[in-house]
Amino acid sequence: MHSWLRRLVYLLRQSRHDAELREEIEAHRALRAAHLESEGLTAQEASDASRRAIGNVLLAREDVREVWLGSWATWWQDVRYGLRTFRKNPAFTVVAVVTLALGIGVNTGIFTVVNAVLFRGLSAPRAHELVSVSQSVQGVPDLAGQEAFSTSEYFAYRDRAQTLSGLVAYGNARGEATLGGDAPRKILGALVSCNYFAVLQQPPALGRAFAARDCEPGADLVVVLSHELWRTAFAADTGIVGRTIQLNRQQVTVAGVAAEGTYNGSAFLVGSYLAPINAGRLLTSDDSRYDDDNSLWLNLLGRRKDGVGSGQVRAELDVITAQLDRQRPGRSTLLTIERARPAMGQQLRGTATGAAVVLMAAFGFILLIACANVANLLLARGTSRSHEIGIRVSLGASRARVIRQLVTESLLLSLVGGLLGSVVALWSFQALVALAVPAMLPPWFPLVLTVDVSPDLQVLSFAVALTVGTGILFGLAPALHVSKPDLHGIMKQDSAGAGSSRRGGRLRGTLVGVQVALCMVLMIAAGLALRGLHATYTIDPGFEYRSVAFVSLESAFDGYSPEESEAMRRRLMAALAALPGVDAVASVEQKPLGDDMAPALFRLPRESERESRVGEVVPVSQDYFSVLEVPIVRGRAFTEDEVRNQTAKPRPAILSATTARNLWPGGDPIGRTLLWESPGLPVVNTLQVVGVAADAQLTALGQIDPYYVYVPGEGGAVLVKGRTDVATTVSGIRAAVRAVDPTLVVTVLPLEATLGWSRSISGTVTSLFGGLGVLALVLASVGIYGIVSFAIAGRYREIGIRLALGATAWSVLGLILRGTMRPVVVGAVIGVAAASAMSRILSSVLFGVSPADPVGLGGAALLVLGVALASGVMAARLATRADPTATLRHE
Amino acid sequence: MGLTNTPSDLLPGTLELLILKSLVAGPKHGYAIVEHLRVTSRDVLHVGESALYPALQRLLVNGWAKAEWGVSETNRRARYYRLTPAGRKQLAGERAEFERMVRAIQHVLEAT
Repeated sequence: MHSWLRRLVYLLRQSRHDAELREEIEAHRALRAAHLESEGLTAQEASDASRRAIGNVLLAREDVREVWLGSWATWWQDVRYGLRTFRKNPAFTVVAVVTLALGIGVNTGIFTVVNAVLFRGLSAPRAHELVSVSQSVQGVPDLAGQEAFSTSEYFAYRDRAQTLSGLVAYGNARGEATLGGDAPRKILGALVSCNYFAVLQQPPALGRAFAARDCEPGADLVVVLSHELWRTAFAADTGIVGRTIQLNRQQVTVAGVAAEGTYNGSAFLVGSYLAPINAGRLLTSDDSRYDDDNSLWLNLLGRRKDGVGSGQVRAELDVITAQLDRQRPGRSTLLTIERARPAMGQQLRGTATGAAVVLMAAFGFILLIACANVANLLLARGTSRSHEIGIRVSLGASRARVIRQLVTESLLLSLVGGLLGSVVALWSFQALVALAVPAMLPPWFPLVLTVDVSPDLQVLSFAVALTVGTGILFGLAPALHVSKPDLHGIMKQDSAGAGSSRRGGRLRGTLVGVQVALCMVLMIAAGLALRGLHATYTIDPGFEYRSVAFVSLESAFDGYSPEESEAMRRRLMAALAALPGVDAVASVEQKPLGDDMAPALFRLPRESERESRVGEVVPVSQDYFSVLEVPIVRGRAFTEDEVRNQTAKPRPAILSATTARNLWPGGDPIGRTLLWESPGLPVVNTLQVVGVAADAQLTALGQIDPYYVYVPGEGGAVLVKGRTDVATTVSGIRAAVRAVDPTLVVTVLPLEATLGWSRSISGTVTSLFGGLGVLALVLASVGIYGIVSFAIAGRYREIGIRLALGATAWSVLGLILRGTMRPVVVGAVIGVAAASAMSRILSSVLFGVSPADPVGLGGAALLVLGVALASGVMAARLATRADPTATLRHE
Repeated sequence: MGLTNTPSDLLPGTLELLILKSLVAGPKHGYAIVEHLRVTSRDVLHVGESALYPALQRLLVNGWAKAEWGVSETNRRARYYRLTPAGRKQLAGERAEFERMVRAIQHVLEAT
């Protein structure tokens, strides 16, 4: 046991320790008395002599305290003194603790989410030995931005690495698989190397792990089910091992059931099965990634051998990388080796990091406002305590000693607030995330997504660091300020007005200004987001959506051959077109306002590649424009032959009106040609314009793309326009799909669901900023009320005289507010400027509303100013209501 | 009977050294330690409680001794102090240091 630990134990049971010491010394005296008696003294003499001999017991007790606590003693004294002052000022203490609890709580809460998304490591036995390996490839444009490995690269690392006891590779099974049975549904799977369970050290709960033979060519297809799928789809049937199930229309043998909590290859998606690494082609006939050296699809996880440092692993793997690079001229590869974490993909990680920064900043504002509030309270209290502090300083306390006392008090406040806030936040954010995550997902998202926000060591460290940092942040400035009292002034007069120098007023004013500015930023964000939400309900996207339903056929035909799939798709289209009440059916690759965009590059024939413009190319069938009621304003729509055969050279194209204007300003686009490339593909297509369609907001609500080009083609989504109401159309479609093939799993939704998704995201963002904004506003108005009442406190006498001399209550009110509201106005102006600088962050939820929208911006600004003014007036009216004679008599 | 209540008559740390030494023979309570010191010093060292108990607590803080309640020879509840291995090590070190000090002082006094 370390000596400081023994000191701590002493502190915790100090009173018991004191009692023991008293008893021990009394025992000592009794022993001495007995001894003296045995030497012939009378009992009384012995007792007296022993009492004399004992010396100063009180002094001994003090010395013992000093022995135990040493430098701790003064610190402990500070704490007890602080607690005593808090007990004497319960109102102050409660306001400060609640404010801090709010500020620290919401930040700890949002950090649990950020931590869950970005920082949480992979959970497995002895996880500290596991490392994630990723690469970034230079010199091969097609591979830019990818971080996974090809199958042959994996084998090279696996076979050559000596510092690792094992190297695992895993990738997603392409698309979502369809689980057969009575109620077919889409599930997510992963393809893993056959050492997966051994290296992760997580043996299956039932059955067996993959063996090397499962990954050999020609092996029978076996899968290990996730614990979750086993429970939900197979009722936790222990007899499942060895049975066959239907996966993508294939008969698959179940080798085992993974243990609960086994990593399933995805960061947030709930995975349902694991299959051997080479099983992709068996599950989906066109999955050729396993055999393709240019396909980077495998994530790597290695386990370090005992006693091998990560530096050694890096050195060895770098050598292997260099060997591989030598075989591929022009390529240079950089490896990243880090603490193992779930695979997430660079793009998603980038988006999530950006969102995390915005969220943490927004929540950080609340904490700053809370800090400013408590600092203000402390300043006000410090001024009223300046008498006490003055006396302490004149009795010889050093400034450092006084500052330490004051900072100890603020740390105590933040510890209590932080503990309270964090505990509440850990509970409430779990519920909030459970609500918010489904709202952010598109309604056609087929899989289950979980974000595990349970606290871990990182969350706890964050909460502790935040609490201590907060305590110092809001405590130090007032402590520095208060500890420099005007001794002379304090000794001369009483506490009223003493120490309330101009300096203190300016510091308080700045704090209020900062509060108002931060509050303004949040409220403007909320106001603009609310306008965006309004726009999602009122906007005309330029296409018909109320009477249209869409069918998503994505990965619906997995397991069928390409010819079977195509025939099936045609049968389905015909069945849908023949439905009673259906006007027209169109096939399209991307449904309007969907989330799956593929960028394309355009240029005119005379332009160089560097002048290419980025835009969208959308393959659509002939009836697309009539289904969505997007008028063709010039030229013609596609013909059925153009859609079916796609052999025409150059390919026909229809431009949006804006695209036509941007490419040929003022000219007639019909008959002109342009070149189209997809990034990373060497093919250059020549397009010939046959028509111009009216503009429509097809990629995002409120957004007209500058370059949007339609080409004839078909794809994985079907748009169905009905005469009856859309719910009837949707149920009609479902019946028709079942009639064509009962094993098809397709998503059928009204097209309005795509708008609903925008609304749902917009609503979530609005409530987020609105909630934070209201929180900030409440805190800031408490702060303003505080400084106004404080400013009045020193001026009761003056106000009394003014009122007695005949000043009206209104003129006095104006006088008080003029002085105290200046920082509010300055803060508001700064807040508006900062908000307009930052509003670009919000652009994705504004849906065409301008970031300078007068209603959203002005409304929010007026609200903040109004509330600020109201809280100022409320505080100031206390002074003007006071009876002047009473005030003057009091002086 | 002269009372030596203040430890300042001794070199700093000497009282702890003497207590450690008196515990080598076995656990003792406070009074027994005082008596042991008085007798073995041929009635020169009379250690008062106000010096003894802070010194004993210093042994506890540093982990050189452990305290436990027991029953004295006169059937009274008393706290017995027992030397720990760390205390034994400390005693050896302190003792060497003390002897070095005493020799140094002798050298100074005997210098001409």
